[in-house]
Amino acid sequence: MKAFARRMIGIDRRIIFLLIAAATLLPLLQPFGLPIKVSPEVKAVYDHIEKLPERSVFLISFDFDPSSKPELEPQAVALLRHAFRKNLRVIGMTHWLTGTGLADGVFSTAAAEYGKVRGKDFVFLGWSPGGGALIIAMGQDLYTAFPSDYSKTPTRDMPVLEGVRNLRDVNYMISLAAGSSGIEMWYVFGKDKYRFEMAGGATGVIAPGLYPFLRSGQINGLIGGLQGAAEYETLIGRKGMAVAGMDAQSATHFVIIVLVVLCNVFYFTLRGDKGKQV
Amino acid sequence: MIFLKRQLPLAITFIMGIAFALQYYIPHPVSEEAITSVSKWMQIISGFALLLGVASLFHVHAVKIKRQVPGWGYSFVLYLGIFITILVGFWGKGEVKVDGAQTAFGWLYDYMMVPLQGTMFSILAFFIASAAYRAFRARSREASVLLIAAVVVMMGRVPLGQFLLPWTWDVTQWLLNVMNSAVRRAILIGVSMGSIALSLKIILGIERSYLGGGKEQ
Repeated sequence: MKAFARRMIGIDRRIIFLLIAAATLLPLLQPFGLPIKVSPEVKAVYDHIEKLPERSVFLISFDFDPSSKPELEPQAVALLRHAFRKNLRVIGMTHWLTGTGLADGVFSTAAAEYGKVRGKDFVFLGWSPGGGALIIAMGQDLYTAFPSDYSKTPTRDMPVLEGVRNLRDVNYMISLAAGSSGIEMWYVFGKDKYRFEMAGGATGVIAPGLYPFLRSGQINGLIGGLQGAAEYETLIGRKGMAVAGMDAQSATHFVIIVLVVLCNVFYFTLRGDKGKQV
Repeated sequence: MIFLKRQLPLAITFIMGIAFALQYYIPHPVSEEAITSVSKWMQIISGFALLLGVASLFHVHAVKIKRQVPGWGYSFVLYLGIFITILVGFWGKGEVKVDGAQTAFGWLYDYMMVPLQGTMFSILAFFIASAAYRAFRARSREASVLLIAAVVVMMGRVPLGQFLLPWTWDVTQWLLNVMNSAVRRAILIGVSMGSIALSLKIILGIERSYLGGGKEQ
């Protein structure tokens, strides 16, 4: 038994890689479609958007790049679908230069689904340097911060921005963040001074770190990781990439838990061996 | 020269630091006008910081290539990647699409950068699984608590876990909202106090390492 445990504890990591690959691929090929439970923090975002009157101004900041695409793109797509369905005026932007093309693609695809027109129903402002300074600039005067949008159209006379002078005129804001240039920055430099309601969407890795902001009411909702995106897709009644990916995530979590439990069984089997490193 | 290198930056830091800390509490039009102008300056300086970053990257990898340190080939690939992207970017005037058609620059982004970054990140899942198998052991009481909490949260955050052990959902919510929030809040308050202290030291000229230089500082 001990010899077996010793062999198993030093198992070739390529076998673990194969198990993870199988756990990811098989559910994608043969989904088992378990129901998705909705958490209060995701429901809060949905409820807030649901209560906004038509043509309200909704700002979405794509603060991520392609490395976080699998988690944050489904969140963006679900939020944009909800906003366009509610006929909100949507303003998009990004603090991450390498995420600009990705964000524009997501915007264009979601807008096309609902027949929304660039400049009239939505605008993608693109990227500008500055981080916190850019948020302050937007809070003072949106048109100084972004004189033109991503497609180089002047922003000042755009119908979608009618009546919008600065961040004080934004009704709801959400930052989809994969790192430090995101939710905390938007709260510190934006919401705290310019008094708009905001929520956050984050990767599974950074979401737990944002719970203090949620509990204190600094953000009114939080969409965390692929699970959060799947919850949002369930709420809007349009299952997409996130719900499809949750089966793979379920299976992968399950495999990791089984591996950790097995590793501990082998560890305790060998722990009595004096002088031998386990 | 010591005035330009030392006293002037310290004076600018002191005046701007005090002025814009007070500005936050004074919503007068003059004060608002000042923050509007200064935010624009900060944006311009951030743009230069980006250039500085690129220049530094070039320098670091040029040294590696010149000295042919182990792995210098990767630095060469980096140079190649940067130059090709810059050339293609200038050629396509930075546009990713023209009249709905994808440009070469857009192609580089969609078919090189997106899959490469995605691949880098997804490889993590495999290494995390392997590391968890080898390192996640109940060696002590603290490690056991961490292990149990991790397993419960991993179960509670996915539909399969919620289906097999429905109670994990509620426990996960409690762990995230109560235990995790309390600890994170304590860390955040500590970090914030440290940031305030450091900012004050910089404004008052006690912390001067940002000025660079050596003994003459």
